[in-house]
Amino acid sequence: MNTENIKKYQSRLWIFYGFLGIILVVLYLGLFFRQLVESETLAQIEKVQNQRRILTPGPRGNLLDHEGRVLVANKSKFSAVVFLSEGQVQKAFDESYYGLVREYRARDEEIKSYSQLRILSRAMVLESYLKGVNELIGRREGVDANAITRHLNVNPLLPYPLIENLEPWEFAILLESLPVEHPVQVYVSNMRHYPYENAAAHALGYVGFSPLEIESDMPGGDLKTFATKGSYGRNGIEKLFDVDLQGRTGSEIWVVDPSGYQVEPVSREYPQKGNDIELSIDIDIQLAGESGYDLYEGYNGALVAIDIERMEILAMLSRPDYDLNQTSPFISNAVFKEISDNRAWENKALRGLYPPGSPFKLVTAIAGLKAGRIDESTLFECDGSHRVGGRNFPCMGTHGEIDLRTAIEKSCNEYFYRVGLETGVDNLSREAVYLRLNEPTHINLPNETRGMLTPSREWKKDRYNQPWYPGDTANMSIGQGALTVTPLQMAVVVASIAKNQVYSHPSIIKQTPEQLARRPVPKSLGLPDSVHQAILEGMDRVVSPTGTARGASVEGVDIGGKTGTAQINKKDGNLELAWFVGFAPVEDPKIAVVALVEGQELNQSFGGGRYAAPMARYVFEAYFKKHPEYTQAGVGQTTASVSLP
Amino acid sequence: MPKKRLFSIKPFAVLIAVIVFWIFVPIAIKATLRSAFYEFQAPLSASASYIRELQNFWAARLKSKSELYETGKDLAHLNATYELKILENQALKQEVERLETLLGLPSRPDYNYEIARVVSRDFNSWWQHLEIRKGSIHGIPLGAPVVFSGGVVGRVREVHKYTSTVELLSNSHLRMAVIIEGDNRPMSFRGSGFKIFRSPTGLAEYVPADIKLTDPDNPPRIITSGMGGVFPAGIHIGYITRLKPGASGMFQDGDIVLDNRLSNLTEVAVLVPTEELEQ
Repeated sequence: MNTENIKKYQSRLWIFYGFLGIILVVLYLGLFFRQLVESETLAQIEKVQNQRRILTPGPRGNLLDHEGRVLVANKSKFSAVVFLSEGQVQKAFDESYYGLVREYRARDEEIKSYSQLRILSRAMVLESYLKGVNELIGRREGVDANAITRHLNVNPLLPYPLIENLEPWEFAILLESLPVEHPVQVYVSNMRHYPYENAAAHALGYVGFSPLEIESDMPGGDLKTFATKGSYGRNGIEKLFDVDLQGRTGSEIWVVDPSGYQVEPVSREYPQKGNDIELSIDIDIQLAGESGYDLYEGYNGALVAIDIERMEILAMLSRPDYDLNQTSPFISNAVFKEISDNRAWENKALRGLYPPGSPFKLVTAIAGLKAGRIDESTLFECDGSHRVGGRNFPCMGTHGEIDLRTAIEKSCNEYFYRVGLETGVDNLSREAVYLRLNEPTHINLPNETRGMLTPSREWKKDRYNQPWYPGDTANMSIGQGALTVTPLQMAVVVASIAKNQVYSHPSIIKQTPEQLARRPVPKSLGLPDSVHQAILEGMDRVVSPTGTARGASVEGVDIGGKTGTAQINKKDGNLELAWFVGFAPVEDPKIAVVALVEGQELNQSFGGGRYAAPMARYVFEAYFKKHPEYTQAGVGQTTASVSLP
Repeated sequence: MPKKRLFSIKPFAVLIAVIVFWIFVPIAIKATLRSAFYEFQAPLSASASYIRELQNFWAARLKSKSELYETGKDLAHLNATYELKILENQALKQEVERLETLLGLPSRPDYNYEIARVVSRDFNSWWQHLEIRKGSIHGIPLGAPVVFSGGVVGRVREVHKYTSTVELLSNSHLRMAVIIEGDNRPMSFRGSGFKIFRSPTGLAEYVPADIKLTDPDNPPRIITSGMGGVFPAGIHIGYITRLKPGASGMFQDGDIVLDNRLSNLTEVAVLVPTEELEQ
């Protein structure tokens, strides 16, 4: 029986063994497939599931002035923070939540929303932490329950700030009073700091925050990444040199638990600071310019100072301006609106378009001299006005028979009407173009306007389909009409006239000796020395005790200059602009300065000698105080009061 | 046979029972027991310390009269120097008070020095602390700073009736606000432990990026900032020996070498704020 039964079931057993064998083979094949073929893919999936990457932007590089003084730096911002993903914090959240649930149940009260209860419990925990911190440092800060939830949803691995911008003493108290293992910790982040507040605000620019641009070579590119926002230049040097200033982003990779909270670190790369950039701006001269501009509070305009030999910007200001610290760590809506309402975003030094007024008479003179229509001794009679095409073009005085030097000194309109008319618009336009007044200076700053205009016959024909009239030439001769320039262009032009060369491409970055050597040699302005000297003499007389720009004079320094009052035609009258362009020392020019002040009211008389020249004096004084070797007998002290005509 | 087997597991069963019992004992009872243990142990430690001092006393008695005479002479010199220093300090204190009045500054916190003998030292990497022979009956407050002639020793972590536990400067749980001498920017200091045959060390965080180690023979000195409200300003902590980039990218971390004498202190001074004494 037994043997028979065994035989009977033997065949069935073989079937079972076979079936078992097949199952084992399938299982082993599966194991083989998973372990050897799919192992990399599965490891990758496991890694992506279990690891998270945290990116911290590197601090930006500093901006330094010509002498290495810090103009823009990073300021550490200390905060009291809680790492919400810490085990003890999570435990406290849970305890608080279950405590609330128990309380509700004890009261027989219906729980309407468990998620709201969760939010409330978190807020209660953080409130209790904050209470301790408030007691330590005497603050009265509160907790925003919704902000905690938002933070947990968006950046659970990043610290949640309880109190930001701790004072150094608050930082010290918390360090010594909070135990090392306390859930509240002191955390440091950085923000841009501008020690000179509004000085050179437009040139330096500001930064804004945007999602961090992640470099492709950073480890953990396939992992879920949390990153604080990066700071990016929005204007000025901060914008143009953003790539150089950007620091290297730091990266941390953490193993996280199923809830997404940190368990242990896998790798860590510290962020690195970006490169410092040394600017050509000299903060002493910049501040002198700012002080000069403060002489007339509330006036708008621009001021530019250029180191002529290096073609570098020493100072650049534009008014209205704003305190750059208002933009850090971010621009609030109120501040943005205030700056926008004041129209303070625009850098008028390189974006403001103005008729050049009388300083253009220098270009008219050069055009006439180069065209051979006048020489330095040519005399014209000024009787107070000049009739062109049936219209009287006025002069500001009756100067009698005068030569070029006196015409520049007295800024005689009639002399230059005559020179312009003799020279012709074609020569005038050509000379302005030669001096590059029809193109941007190509300074290494963003947003330089391209809207400057040097009118010509062709331009008027194209634009208005009208012929060019002699009256247009007369207007252009004294820097009026359609002609528009920027203050920066005028600074480059006055530097060119001072050196009898044509400059361009000024730099706001301090040039290395190699960079200076690589600069193209400027082309000649083309004036014979004696003729050039006549122009310089005329400009020298302008800043003499009898000249229109005597407010710019500095003891012991020969300054050449030209004042101007230009008019902008408005609907209900003229708005006047006060110009001063100058350079010094006359015998070996080192610095060129241009100051422009916009009139505030229509038809208000607004002379360059009264308003712009004293501003420039502050700059000249600061420059020659630093460079006494260029003066004749030392420089007088800067005083707040200015003797004006 | 089974009875014997049961008998053999009895100790383990008891141990498990005790552990389970201990787990469920209320925290208050645990704390009381722990404190009582310290209080019970304290007289033993203190006695051991007294016996050590007695040994030292008899060792000194064995010295010759000429040795004692020489030592006495040296001590007399030292006393004279200290008396002079005390006079200088008094003059400086008056000057500080005058300047505080003149500038309308709040007066600096005043401390009383409670001198205490060291009973025992524990340099275990987890529990770097000292036991000192002064406790609550001597007015030692919790958290008080402890110093010695070479600078900061640490901070009082526990106060018992006759003894106190001082958390050492090299303990990684001790954190304080410090500055570099001559610079007023606060930094964080944490102990980073003792290594055998090496000086105790610490770690300074938030060291400003412009601080450089230019002269290895004259490294930057770290002192207390006085801003944290616990330690008075200007007490020596150590020297920065190495700087490396910090986690934020804006600051550096500095390795600090502490005073070697921290490992063999026999006497320390607890700074008891005068206000606390008055209370």
